[in-house]
Amino acid sequence: MIRLQNVTKVYDGGVVAVQDIGLEINKGEFVFLVGPSGSGKSTLIRLMMREERPTEGDIWVAGKHASKLANWKIPHLRRSIGTVFQDFKLLPNKTVYENVAFALEVTGRPRSVVKTQVPQVLKLVGLSANAARYPRQLSGGEQQRVSIARAFVNRPLILLADEPTGNLDPATSVGIMRILDRINKTGTTVVMATHDHAIVDAMRRRVVQLDRGNLVRDQRGGVYERRAEPPIATGAAEAMEDDRPEPGYAPPVSAPLPGSHHDDHSTAAMEAAESPEVEETPTELFQAYVEDHPAEGDRT
Amino acid sequence: MSFQYVLTEAFNNIRRNALVVLGAILAVFISLLLMFSTLVFGEIARVNTLQWSEDVRVIAFLRDQFRDTESLMDTVRSWAEVEEVFFVSKSQAVEEARILLASDEAALRVIEETPTILPASIRVRPVDLDEYDLIVQRLQASPGVSDIVTAGPQVDALASLRDGLRVVFWILSVALGIAAIALIANTIHMAIYARREEIEIMRLVGASNWFVRIPFFLEGMLEGLFGAALAVGVGVGVYRLALDRLTELPDFVVITIGNDFLVRWGVLTLAFGVLVGALGSSLSLAVHRYLRT
Repeated sequence: MIRLQNVTKVYDGGVVAVQDIGLEINKGEFVFLVGPSGSGKSTLIRLMMREERPTEGDIWVAGKHASKLANWKIPHLRRSIGTVFQDFKLLPNKTVYENVAFALEVTGRPRSVVKTQVPQVLKLVGLSANAARYPRQLSGGEQQRVSIARAFVNRPLILLADEPTGNLDPATSVGIMRILDRINKTGTTVVMATHDHAIVDAMRRRVVQLDRGNLVRDQRGGVYERRAEPPIATGAAEAMEDDRPEPGYAPPVSAPLPGSHHDDHSTAAMEAAESPEVEETPTELFQAYVEDHPAEGDRT
Repeated sequence: MSFQYVLTEAFNNIRRNALVVLGAILAVFISLLLMFSTLVFGEIARVNTLQWSEDVRVIAFLRDQFRDTESLMDTVRSWAEVEEVFFVSKSQAVEEARILLASDEAALRVIEETPTILPASIRVRPVDLDEYDLIVQRLQASPGVSDIVTAGPQVDALASLRDGLRVVFWILSVALGIAAIALIANTIHMAIYARREEIEIMRLVGASNWFVRIPFFLEGMLEGLFGAALAVGVGVGVYRLALDRLTELPDFVVITIGNDFLVRWGVLTLAFGVLVGALGSSLSLAVHRYLRT
């Protein structure tokens, strides 16, 4: 689905953002890009969505040779990629419904498609009741869910998320991760750049770690740090292990993440829910998760 | 929905920056009004000096019975002070009269009823455009010549006035046209800036480049069209007013120009306005960083 070969990106001024990256992501995978700020996560995302061209190397995305793609063909590539960002990028003068519909309208989809797809995807992210509201009337988590709905409304093959929980408190982040997980279950490849330890550790998905532009680790079912027990995320990691028979085993369905009750009605409605739901999410798990991330809770 | 969307967007943009847009439209208006009046004035001058085009200074009307035109022209051509001789037949004279007497219905009717009433003539361009007395004297002595007219000082004055005004007006209208393009580019620039978030998202979700650009392009063309429509409207209006008011003109001055001229150049001026608008918006679209890929 995504393939990078010897990819190097040097920005004007000689800053080397990523260096000689080789990476292959298959259809339906969920991949975390981790690493400290400036390690090249965002650059990789931007390269994948063809916002940037690599200085060297080749990139294939959704069957297209993205690094060689002519400018006028970028829109076609973008239609098979959904993008989610830390700052939501919603249009303040449009309602939730209009923000999501916008993605279909400007790509020339017929009105009938808009009328069926938008309510469906709003249901998926649990915002059906807020369709007529404006972004300023929503919480950060709700705004991010609108942005995810917009990214997913045309059923892209790939969803690229750059720090989607960066502006959200841990409890809200959990809701976001449930939705991303749900989207991944529909077969959509998800690539998420993050430095949220708890999320990565709890989800146990493929982890690609970057350090100063180099790919230093590519591990399936990995945690944020290479160390077995990351100091920050201990509580959550332990809690997760209690929940699961085999440590390191990639979680099968939407089980791993604790969720607030707030999310439950939407979860049930999600169309992706083909596999049986794990309804009980231990309250202790949720508590442990939140308590372990006091710093991030302050950021909104 | 696409076309409606595009049109709505363009109108919304215009409303949002009403004042700046007004400035751009006024620049187009003044520029094209100058251009249009230059054309109209040029046409009036051309009609008035129709007989004297090609630097003709002497016209010798021929008797109807005179048949030996060829040898007369050869003779005249052989004179050292003559540069060129043209022959205007009776039917060509009628054609000319139709334009010259367009405003004089009675005279026109006479000509249409008896087309042979107008004499044929030979027209002489002298080597020295200010010195043709000798030619006149010799023509008077020639056979077949009934009457002779020469280009008076009025014709010369009108011609030089026309040439002078033409240069000034064209320079002004080109300069203002460039200003109009720049002003339209500026309005488009502001419209793009005002909608930069929307453009960013459109590009993120894969809206095609033309879909992003067309509303802005159309906005520029609409502004150009509005300015041009004003210019044509005011130009034609003032001309009509002048036609009504200027009844005391000397006989030899004709200010009636054909309707087909007004329609043809009116439409071309509108097209030119749209072109100015298109140039302005393409200029803006080409340099704008929010649209660069």
